[in-house]
Amino acid sequence: MTNTPAIDVQNLTVGYGSNILLQNLNFSVNAGEIFVILGGSGCGKSSLLTNLNGLHQPLAGDVLIEGQNITTAVGAERQKIMTSFGMMYQQGALFGSMNLLDNVTLFMEEYTQLTQDQMKLLARCKLDLVGLLPYESYMPNEISGGMQKRAAIARAMALDPKILFLDEPSAGLDPITSADLDSTILDLSKNLGFTFVIVSHELASIYAIADKVIMLDKKTKSIIAEGDPKVLRDSSPDPRVHQFFNRIMSKEVA
Amino acid sequence: MSVSQTIPGPLEQNLDSPVAEWTLLDPLHAKVALKGQVNVYTLAHTWTDIRQKQDLWLAQTKAKNPALSFDASQVTSLDGSGFAFLIDLEQAQKNASGQFEIIGLDARYQPLLKEFEPIGNLFPPAVVKPKRSFVVSTGMATQNLLDDSAGLISFTGHLASDLAWSVCNPAKVRWGDFVNAAVQAGIAALPIVGLVAFLIGVILSFQSAIGMQQFGAISFVGPLVSLGIFRELGPLITAILLAGRSSAAFAAEIGTMTVNNEVDALVTGGLSPVRFLIVPRVLAGILVTPILTLFADLVSVFSSALTLVIYGVPMVNFYNGMLQVVGIEDIFSGLIKATLFGVVVSAVGCLRGMQTGTGAAAVGISATRAVVSSIVLIVLVDGIFAFISYKTGF
Repeated sequence: MTNTPAIDVQNLTVGYGSNILLQNLNFSVNAGEIFVILGGSGCGKSSLLTNLNGLHQPLAGDVLIEGQNITTAVGAERQKIMTSFGMMYQQGALFGSMNLLDNVTLFMEEYTQLTQDQMKLLARCKLDLVGLLPYESYMPNEISGGMQKRAAIARAMALDPKILFLDEPSAGLDPITSADLDSTILDLSKNLGFTFVIVSHELASIYAIADKVIMLDKKTKSIIAEGDPKVLRDSSPDPRVHQFFNRIMSKEVA
Repeated sequence: MSVSQTIPGPLEQNLDSPVAEWTLLDPLHAKVALKGQVNVYTLAHTWTDIRQKQDLWLAQTKAKNPALSFDASQVTSLDGSGFAFLIDLEQAQKNASGQFEIIGLDARYQPLLKEFEPIGNLFPPAVVKPKRSFVVSTGMATQNLLDDSAGLISFTGHLASDLAWSVCNPAKVRWGDFVNAAVQAGIAALPIVGLVAFLIGVILSFQSAIGMQQFGAISFVGPLVSLGIFRELGPLITAILLAGRSSAAFAAEIGTMTVNNEVDALVTGGLSPVRFLIVPRVLAGILVTPILTLFADLVSVFSSALTLVIYGVPMVNFYNGMLQVVGIEDIFSGLIKATLFGVVVSAVGCLRGMQTGTGAAAVGISATRAVVSSIVLIVLVDGIFAFISYKTGF
């Protein structure tokens, strides 16, 4: 393990104004790890992600990306941290006025000195990885929701950031595409050392790829479980964790 | 995760270009040796340089089966751009019917490189967009115009029937939406309507006074300006301001609902989007436009009277002159016209919103079209109204 974790979260409190969603979180994500954030709907998973990537300022606490504090960084220092990770939003958030290829090359044009042909080839490689190579000239509104998500992953990978935040990447994908995506994520993580922070509910996918999961709880506003998902499924003493991993209906527990 | 030890994070990445050496082993066999860390920020120069050398070499060794070896044994780290570089070199060799081999590439990169095969797919032939001839473009534009007109006519019918239905079933009208729209289009518009009306009154009086003074006819400026304001300018100013404010707002609001499938949800739920979304807004337009017009009339006439005080016309004289010329039918004529403008502005805004395509840009286009169509229709209605009042003397 490297000495500096890819992401280090210290005493983080997430929320909006007086509405606190998560309180006093402490965890770290190691470089090259596939880290999955779990929890029921509305427990603040996506909000946590927007605090980790610096989009929203946390109510309290610090987020260190490769040792650099993103909550206090400003100006050029902040921009440099921002380019060290890619983000895929839940709805894709592709730029509607550009075709898929231009969506991917946009950030390359800004940050690299590659020629147009080189950028296009590189963007095609990214689209190929998510299985969208034949659709490079399509506009985002001409493809399905699942394809938009995959294109958004390609865009997030445009600059080969070492950290990728994915908000529900496999929700709404068919099982085959979902499995293909899992294999690409594993490849990038194990062979190129990419770090993934993923919000997901797809248990099959989580078992297949996750090195480590944390589970958030709405009531206690805290992390209630942390570790290998298979171990948690088989031997967690916490009934809430057991219920989640074994898909038990809420009525049966109550 | 021992792999991660050898890979630097982007923050401490070495920003020096990776070193690439081009060696010609013999005329038909060249070698590229890449060393160091390869990433998207630093590769650009090396990539261009090596590809130029390769092209030059391939041009010289035409059709003699040239072979290129790529030595990756001293690469410390490789990212996606490195793969793209390798693929680019390989494709150039293929295009020249040559050989390409990679030596010493770390095993961990092999599976990812295989994912891109066959690499020919990454180089699609350039797509040439067919150009439309003038005749085709003209035909399509005409067709669009006809479709648009047909849409407008059917929409007018639909709206009229739903308005009639609302009159028969007032309890089923969405009065909450009506109040919101009326507040947004009416009360919130008071300051801007007041300001513009005031300035128009001042400017009109000044300009008229300068000319009329030369003929000693300054006392006629008051009646002239006030008649113009009540019959024509008051309704027109109000309608154009509403077109800019509310028509665009209705189009953007309903357009965003269309983009988000909210309008589809109404249709599949068996509700008429015209009745649900458009009727309350059109009713609000019918209510607020005459009221705003009356407000604009009064502010404008008052500012005109104030201006003429500078030219020595007392307010009493202005008032008496105005009463001689402006009758109650003139004011009503203006207000009836304003009501029609209100229907046009709010209905067209809603129609353009309903016609929104998909995506964020479509909402902007709808708002623009709403304002443009509103203003065109306002002028058209005004012209028809002028013709009718000329014929009937109303």
